[in-house]
Amino acid sequence: MLNYKNNLLIGFLIIAFIYSYLILNLDIISFFNGLPNLLIIFNEIHNIDYSLLSVAFVSMIETIQMAFLGTALGYLFAFPLSILASRNLASKYSYLPMRCVLAVVRTFPSILWAILFVIMVGLGPFAGVLSITLYTIGFISKLQYESIEAIDSEIIDNITSIGISKSQLIRYVVIPESAPHLLSQLLFTFDYNVRHTSVIGLVGAGGIGFYIINYIKFFEYEKALVFMLVVLITVIIIDLCSVKIRDKYIIKFATSKKLN
Amino acid sequence: MNNSLSSNNIIINMDKVWLSYDKIHYVLNEITMSVKQSTNYTIIGQSGSGKSTLLKLINGLLIPSKGKITVFGMTPNKKNKQFLNIMKKIGYIPQSLGLVKNISVLDNVLIGTLTRINKIKSILKILPEIEIDNAKQALELVGLEDKMEKKTYALSGGEKRRVAIARALAQKPILLLADEIVSELDHVTSKEIMNLISDTQHELKLTSVMIHHDIKLALDYADIVSVLQKGKKILEIGVNGNTITDFDMTKNQPC
Ligand SMILES: Nc1ncnc2c1ncn2[C@@H]1O[C@H](COP(=O)(O)OP(=O)(O)OP(=O)(O)O)[C@@H](O)[C@H]1O
Ligand SMILES: [Mg+2]
Repeated sequence: MLNYKNNLLIGFLIIAFIYSYLILNLDIISFFNGLPNLLIIFNEIHNIDYSLLSVAFVSMIETIQMAFLGTALGYLFAFPLSILASRNLASKYSYLPMRCVLAVVRTFPSILWAILFVIMVGLGPFAGVLSITLYTIGFISKLQYESIEAIDSEIIDNITSIGISKSQLIRYVVIPESAPHLLSQLLFTFDYNVRHTSVIGLVGAGGIGFYIINYIKFFEYEKALVFMLVVLITVIIIDLCSVKIRDKYIIKFATSKKLN
Repeated sequence: MNNSLSSNNIIINMDKVWLSYDKIHYVLNEITMSVKQSTNYTIIGQSGSGKSTLLKLINGLLIPSKGKITVFGMTPNKKNKQFLNIMKKIGYIPQSLGLVKNISVLDNVLIGTLTRINKIKSILKILPEIEIDNAKQALELVGLEDKMEKKTYALSGGEKRRVAIARALAQKPILLLADEIVSELDHVTSKEIMNLISDTQHELKLTSVMIHHDIKLALDYADIVSVLQKGKKILEIGVNGNTITDFDMTKNQPC
């Protein structure tokens, strides 16, 4: 393990760490001095405005719906693009440009997409859905074409050798063979997107984040707190559910496959 | 074997074919062979002697480094659109079987019928009743009719082999390439499967190239047995029942 190359790498990482720390002029002391400031927020817990719970709940539902639509649309658009970007199914005139396009899409964080779409279509959930869609395309297409490429090339070779068409190959071989991966990616992305959708509201793209940022702007922490708690609880619930679903369906599926 | 070779009933012809995977070592050295219609041409040889490689040259999965092959008068190449129509008529049972694990046994067999089905309909999975019956019949022939709804990953090794055979039968090929199809099966099942293929062969004038490990099995069913050693064809014999009708020891002696 600790050969010359690795030592060099570790040394480099340590130097990069120290350099970054110094250059950014970080002041650890202010972290501890600032801790009491948090109490200002937590003190508000006593005068939390529970009448806002129903509004918070409704806006959380809106957030989940946006995440759901964005994930579904992004996933559906990503799949054909992934086919065009996979080396085992497409020619290099297809996969090389397609990978470049997808790499560009992927470089945009969700919040940047949200800003772009708020400028384009105005404030509100539509901008949110569009940005989650684009973000999902960038994010999931890489996972998708990698799982398509992981399919045993011999199976693809052998089955194409009987002269079936590419579309039939995708329908009967590629999709079923990568289904466990594709499903678990879908679940993971939805889970992930609920968080992103909560955040992109901060720039006005609809959903619960929109409320949170507005209350914070006017220093109404006791109101913002209600919404933040609802986000926290929702994320925890969705996380637990997706772990359950994954364990129950996908893991079982994958292991039963491995046994053979 | 004595009837004169009229060139029109030669299905496969190889002329001094060489193949290398890495452009350095040759896995097949100067293979010359021809297979006539309705015959069973069986290849035997040690592990690593190049049997599977030879089979893949016939359906165009591999292209020879040197030499010429014709199959139904065309040069095999999986990328050639014209060869595609011939590929549809070549049943191939690879050593690794090439089954899709996550779909049902019946769906795997239906893959064999896809080349005859309209593309759009097949993608929507609207399959003609007659093709579904074809697939079910093929499964019945290999004795798996009661397992057809099962997912393929949940089958035993021998059952999977039989699914691959059923898929090739459902394809209704005129040339069958079979790579060690009975290796994992017990003696009785092996015989059953081989009898089945041999019956189909006579019924449909099917031509076949098979690979076997069991020399006795090869002699029982083959019209011609060919022996490969280290990529060279060292022997080719014609067989008829229990008598050897033709004997051709190639000059290339094993080194
Ligand atoms: N895809 C490949 N890339 C490189 N070398 C290969 C490849 N496939 C086979 N070989 C080599 O070619 C030689 C012949 O392999 P082949 O699979 O044709 O043997 P075989 O006679 O079918 O053996 P077995 O009875 O074990 O199946 C072997 O030495 C093998 O290592
Ligand atoms: Mg082999």
